[in-house]
Amino acid sequence: MKIDTKTKVRSVSGEHIILGRADGTTDMTRVVGLNESAMELYRRLQGRDFGLDDVVRELTDAYEVDEPTARRDAAEWVEQMRRQHLIMD
Amino acid sequence: MESTAHLLIGGLPLRLAGGGGVAAAMSLPGMRPFWHRPAAAAEVCLRLDAAWPEADCRWLHRFDFASGKAECCFGVDAEGALVFRFDRYGRLRFDPRRPDEVCLGPIADADLLRYALWTAYALAGLWRGRVPVHASAVVHRGRAVLCLGESGTGKSTHTSLWMKHIEDTWLLNDDSPVLSVEEGAVVAYGSPWSGKTPCYRTERVPVAALLRLEQRPQNSLRRLATVEAFTALQPSCPPVLLHEERLTDRMVDFVGSVVGRVPVFRMGCLPDEAAARLSHDTIFPAQ
Repeated sequence: MKIDTKTKVRSVSGEHIILGRADGTTDMTRVVGLNESAMELYRRLQGRDFGLDDVVRELTDAYEVDEPTARRDAAEWVEQMRRQHLIMD
Repeated sequence: MESTAHLLIGGLPLRLAGGGGVAAAMSLPGMRPFWHRPAAAAEVCLRLDAAWPEADCRWLHRFDFASGKAECCFGVDAEGALVFRFDRYGRLRFDPRRPDEVCLGPIADADLLRYALWTAYALAGLWRGRVPVHASAVVHRGRAVLCLGESGTGKSTHTSLWMKHIEDTWLLNDDSPVLSVEEGAVVAYGSPWSGKTPCYRTERVPVAALLRLEQRPQNSLRRLATVEAFTALQPSCPPVLLHEERLTDRMVDFVGSVVGRVPVFRMGCLPDEAAARLSHDTIFPAQ
């Protein structure tokens, strides 16, 4: 999978957000807030073709976290990013 | 013969220059109060009746004006300038590398001329840290409250309830006040664009709070944290700002600087006195 190259992380008063349009026909916007670890993963995986194992590796690399916890967090991150259409296959 | 008129809108000195378009613009409802005698050179020139060669455009966004009156589109031309086509009525061009000028072709229709001037202001203003925001704004004890929301959610109803039930309250603008951050403070100005309400006030007022309204079976109010506050204000900025990256970058910076400085609330409300009292008592707690 890959992070959608059309997205761009922006900073709002110290918080990280991604703006995306809900679809091409309306002006409604999706605004996705990224917490610190979600932002870290975004930064590390942007531009790469990656699998779940890569997400787990980046998490254990960046944070003091055991493998099962990292795997659970990684799956959750992928799920959330997919739901927001920020990750594509 | 070229004619000229000077306007001061949202603290931004503008010069209208052109032929018959200048008189047509100045005769639109709401423009006269913003006429001013310039003390210095205007920061931005709105060039009316301008001509420029047709160029290939990459169209980014199409939208409908006034329920089918005009099909409009927005795009970028080969030189990177932003271009609007207002159906058969006229067109506009703004080159972000020269943000001190907006060109408008001849526009004979008053509604479209009014809308094109608003669009021109939104583009030039964005480069100078001011944005017309879709809101109904009241002033209470010298500070402004801006009610935001989709069309039909009752923004004007809520500000009317303030004027009816909260003393020392007046309407600043009913559709498109201008927001600006000046010396670290968020301020709102009246504008010549006030929807169906002829309220063309020129005052500059510090902003107390922004209120995003939704119709609900009961009244409730909640202060929003940064990301939610961004989500509350952003849809009230001119929609075109989402359709081109240079515009979006500036819009995000602007909205971020506003919501970092004033409280933003989400309010579920009924069209009743209690709703006005709830928002008033929250924004202006008793001393």
